[in-house]
Amino acid sequence: MQESASSLTYRITQPEDAPLLSNWLTDPKILQWFPMCDAREIEDAVRIWVGYCKIGSAITALMQGEPCGMANLYIQPYKKQAHTCLFSIIVKEELRGRGIGAQLLEYLMQYAKEKFHIEILHLEVYEGNPAKRLYERLGFKEFGCQTKFIKEEGRYKAKFLMQKYLLG
Amino acid sequence: MVQEPAGLDIRYTYVTDTPYLRQWLLQPEVQKWFPVSEEKEIEDAVQCWIGFSRYSSSITATLDAEPCGVATLFLMPYRKVAHHCLFKLVVNPKHQRKGIGSALLKNLKHLAKNYFHLDLMHIEVYEGNPVVHLLLKHDFHEFARQERFVKDQSGYRARILYESFL
Repeated sequence: MQESASSLTYRITQPEDAPLLSNWLTDPKILQWFPMCDAREIEDAVRIWVGYCKIGSAITALMQGEPCGMANLYIQPYKKQAHTCLFSIIVKEELRGRGIGAQLLEYLMQYAKEKFHIEILHLEVYEGNPAKRLYERLGFKEFGCQTKFIKEEGRYKAKFLMQKYLLG
Repeated sequence: MVQEPAGLDIRYTYVTDTPYLRQWLLQPEVQKWFPVSEEKEIEDAVQCWIGFSRYSSSITATLDAEPCGVATLFLMPYRKVAHHCLFKLVVNPKHQRKGIGSALLKNLKHLAKNYFHLDLMHIEVYEGNPVVHLLLKHDFHEFARQERFVKDQSGYRARILYESFL
């Protein structure tokens, strides 16, 4: 029987999680939904992501004590915008489809509100990413679309911008 | 149409332009259109902004050799998104409404298209920013509007994102 997402636990991401995050991102099925495209770019993005563990805004989800997903709040450095926050989320490819993303995101929203007093959580998702349906289901609303955001082999892909008010 | 003032020149940004940019951002009438609100934030923003001078993606307008405005392409670090970038533009409030912003934007678009081979460029502005007139004149269109993005003593304001295909 497959383990369900209901048995997830959470902790602050640790620097030691960096190789795991790099490994997950290296999978082309996952990488297609991120802006990076090679090892150097992944390393750069992972360094920035894991760097947020210093302020406790990067979260690792565990299933039976093993990391199965991560999410990060890119806490704003400016006071005027500190009530808003962009986030990223990733679930280990082999464990997708078990509700881990939804549960991790629910946890992240609560955590953002309680620990960082975030009022508006926003995200960027590329055209074709099935995760967009999850975001809609969890109450995120689209507020913009950049039609030519990604360019690969001469073809463009759109980026949708979505947000959710956490205070209701 | 506003005539460009005599003595206006456009050149690449130098690190020595830093104090000018810092000074403009310290002024409340400029600051209200940017995310910064205190000295430390201004310093961080200025260092990041001027840092792009090393890639020659920043230009400075001068009036009689004195800097009066800066416009910068914040080049993207990843290849899949390297065909576009965010840009920022600021003009010394003393010299606004003289056509300097327009000259900077025209030159920046030229730099983006012909030197960096960008397909599009975009900018974030706050609700009420009069620079929107300039953007519309230079073929920018709105592609996103995020309500309540800015929060200060006057309440909430939206951020509006504009882009132009080059």
